[in-house]
Amino acid sequence: MVKRGAMYLLLLVVALFCTWPILWQFITSLKPEAELISLPPVLPNKPTISHYQSVLLESSFIAALKNSFLVAIFTTLISLAFGGLAAFALAKLNLIGSSLFLAAILSISMFPPIATISPLYVLVNSFGLRDTVLALVGLYSTFSLPLSVWILTSFFKSVPDELLQAARVDGCSTFQIFYKIMLPVCMPGLIATTILVFIFSWNEFLLALTFSVTEASRTVPVAIALFPGLHEVPWGEISAASIVVTAPIGLLVFMFQRKIVAGLTAGSVKG
Amino acid sequence: MRLLKNLIKYSLLTVCSFSATAGCSSPVGSSRAASTRTIVFKHGKIFGDSGPLKTLLREFEVNNPGVSVLDEELPSSTDEQHQFYVINLQGESASFDVFALDVIWISEFARAGWLRNLSDSLPVAAREDFFSATIDAVTYREQIYALPWVIGAGLLYYRKDLLEKYGFAPPQSWTDVVAAASQITAKESNLHGFVWQGKQYEGLVCNSLEYLWTFGGKVIEDGHSVINSKENINALKMMRSMIYDFHITPEFVTTLTEEPSRRLFGAGRALFMRNWPYAWSLFEQTSSPVYNKVGVTTIPRGPAGESYATLGGWHLGVNKYSRSPELAQKLARFLTSAYAAKKLALGTGHEPTRRSLYKDPELLRKHPFKRKLKDIFEKARPRPVTPYYMMISQVMQREFSAAISRIKTPQHALVDAHDQIEHILAIEKQ
Amino acid sequence: MKRFGLKYLYLLPAMLVLMLVTIYPLVHVVALSLHRKLLIFDISRFVGFANFEFMLGDSRFWTALGNTAYFTLVSVALELAIGLGIALLLNRSFKGRGLMRSVVLLPWAIPTVVSAKMWEWIYNADYGVLNYLLNIDINWLGSPAWALNAAVLMDVWKTTPFVAILLLAALQDIPDDLYRAARVDGAGTLKILQRITLPMILPMIWVVVIFRTLDAFRVFDAVYVLTGGGPAGSSETLSIYAYNLLFQTLQFGYGSAVALSVFICVGLITLVLIRAMRRSEW
Repeated sequence: MVKRGAMYLLLLVVALFCTWPILWQFITSLKPEAELISLPPVLPNKPTISHYQSVLLESSFIAALKNSFLVAIFTTLISLAFGGLAAFALAKLNLIGSSLFLAAILSISMFPPIATISPLYVLVNSFGLRDTVLALVGLYSTFSLPLSVWILTSFFKSVPDELLQAARVDGCSTFQIFYKIMLPVCMPGLIATTILVFIFSWNEFLLALTFSVTEASRTVPVAIALFPGLHEVPWGEISAASIVVTAPIGLLVFMFQRKIVAGLTAGSVKG
Repeated sequence: MRLLKNLIKYSLLTVCSFSATAGCSSPVGSSRAASTRTIVFKHGKIFGDSGPLKTLLREFEVNNPGVSVLDEELPSSTDEQHQFYVINLQGESASFDVFALDVIWISEFARAGWLRNLSDSLPVAAREDFFSATIDAVTYREQIYALPWVIGAGLLYYRKDLLEKYGFAPPQSWTDVVAAASQITAKESNLHGFVWQGKQYEGLVCNSLEYLWTFGGKVIEDGHSVINSKENINALKMMRSMIYDFHITPEFVTTLTEEPSRRLFGAGRALFMRNWPYAWSLFEQTSSPVYNKVGVTTIPRGPAGESYATLGGWHLGVNKYSRSPELAQKLARFLTSAYAAKKLALGTGHEPTRRSLYKDPELLRKHPFKRKLKDIFEKARPRPVTPYYMMISQVMQREFSAAISRIKTPQHALVDAHDQIEHILAIEKQ
Repeated sequence: MKRFGLKYLYLLPAMLVLMLVTIYPLVHVVALSLHRKLLIFDISRFVGFANFEFMLGDSRFWTALGNTAYFTLVSVALELAIGLGIALLLNRSFKGRGLMRSVVLLPWAIPTVVSAKMWEWIYNADYGVLNYLLNIDINWLGSPAWALNAAVLMDVWKTTPFVAILLLAALQDIPDDLYRAARVDGAGTLKILQRITLPMILPMIWVVVIFRTLDAFRVFDAVYVLTGGGPAGSSETLSIYAYNLLFQTLQFGYGSAVALSVFICVGLITLVLIRAMRRSEW
């Protein structure tokens, strides 16, 4: 019994370790300006939602939220489509050199984005795509492609070959097998990939910082990093903005915890 | 087939008209939109009342029917603004027409070919009225690329009540500062001796150069680095001593920019402060804890015997890629006219770049403080004027910061700075 | 024959984008690094290996390399140790495991920028809750001695959960029979950990170490937002140095050379780690 108690105590410590900075950010976001520059009190005396109001009324932040959603959604779609096709071929079509291709893709996912950012800058500029959502979608789709291919390949491989043969006997073409059998059967894998790619593009910073110059394409992480503030740092508003941005991610984590773990391990186990 | 084509055409039209309305964020009357030409004026945040600027822009609109001016603020620090302009102009953006340039960017942007030549707006005779250092700053290869708008220079603020209490005169030299600060902070509680801008950013360079110059040092001469000199080593040693030997500057000075140091001083928690002129009007509000207790003097002298303040300021340039360059130039000329400069000086408290305004009775009655500034501006020194300034500044920011936070000895920092500056300057040579 | 070619069509879209956005730029970055190139003044001159020569004598480069190595080593070591502890804890049976796993995933899932801003506020020298809770007065982000460690601490908070979750997955794959048999043989908890648990999850530990090392070595956003690389460059990593060269002053030649050095380092580290992994046994 004592041992169990100790275990729950430890679990509590771990839970606190993982959440306290977020909790603190939440508390900060509710503090009126005057209380921000004094400690104690730890908890706000007069909690206020004014920081949320000013953040959500700020048109540039709303624009950034919109851009982030657009980028994340389109990236996820493209990455899944291209990645799904490739993964299907790699997992089920007995390609020559498929393991080599997988290894190549894995090594691409490992290489540092900073290494190619200067040529990409020249490339994006020459296409006239600087400061567009399109540029971000294109880059993110590619950078998340290795992730999609890896996770989906491992999920597709787990589908028994007999199922596919049966379908072929029934007269399905290869492509029909892909979208009529593989995709529905591997729904959990698709969901896992969707979530991971979504989180990736929602959070990405380096490329967004480089390629978005104005509100036209600025995503939320960049907006938060460059939060306008001249006199001093507006901590109340930054906290409120952080909480707003974290909320959708938090929701995903609590709803799809199992899928995320499955995706993460599928993506790494075979490494 | 026909149907499909029409469908596509209409949907495209809808999208286009939607994005057109979405792109126009200001509620400028759409009824006259067809005949209106819009000029975008981009600038950093205005310290003080932004009302007078808005009034001037409306006035410009009235005098130029069919023109509307969109006034857009870049809410970030000067380094971030620089990055914004560089990346936009590199991409030949026409999204702004007139913009305020930090004095240190002008030769760089002119060299890059991003600025419209404005020489015809500033004929030689008209240059007389401006402080000569600002004319130097806006000139690149004998041509004018920006019109002088606002000037600034480093000042030493002091608490006159405390100096009087302990029998000190306003300091003339760095040693005076040290003497007064050590004695007074020993007796007063909760008081820092001397605060300045020590964070790794452009402000640190402005502060450090004042030491370098007053110690008789320089950074660049005849296209070569002369930063690694005995004078400069002593200057950096002095800055360090302020923190670690005399203990009059708190160690957290390495995190201070203008505003945090201004707030410390403004809360009555510092005896001396190095800052720009803008801080004065904030101390002269009756609600300020240091109201009527503040005095201002020139940057202290050093072994070289002279006082040198770093020149700052914002000047108006016209984007080379602007779609209405003449109109943009007209706006820049209007905003820098003696008339507009006076309005801004009166209402917002800007320091004008025209000498004549420092004799203007109305202005001096409203801001008696400005009388003092004329001599300071006459003698203020520009930071090295070169297209490579931003790169050189990066080096100085880093090496000076390393020296004052004791990561490197002053000598080591200057040796490293010298090598890097030479490497940068070498690019123009074969 | 036709079928044969068709199969490869499935790979085509992925191949094309990867070529355009990763392979081609990789070739181009090598070319850029051999030039003295200033984008803003349209200066571009072939200089051979001069950029790399300058790099070898550039103290800022070596500081950044040292910072990056320190950051990588310390953060990965701490994450592995703490992550293993958390994984062992979560592997026990208790109520609310799903909820607990979500809680643990949270730091990993939130944007790095958000976590950097959060910690910047926590570390604030005047009003920061960390100094208040610990009742100390440390200038976390303003002093050269602390800034990089502050970044490490933040990264440990942010990425330990990722490590824990992967290790937990490996732990759950260990068959219960193995434990039962060991217990029958009278092995104590420590012995079991040493003889069964660790050897069984060793492959996953290697995966985690490789993943995390490569990820930590290219660290950008966490440190960039938290400290900006300051004070006095004491927390500047290679990626931040390269970024500043590239986009603060548009020095595309030398900036590309430094960026390429990150790539080369990452490649070398991968080779070393994979060799070590192949030779390792518990």
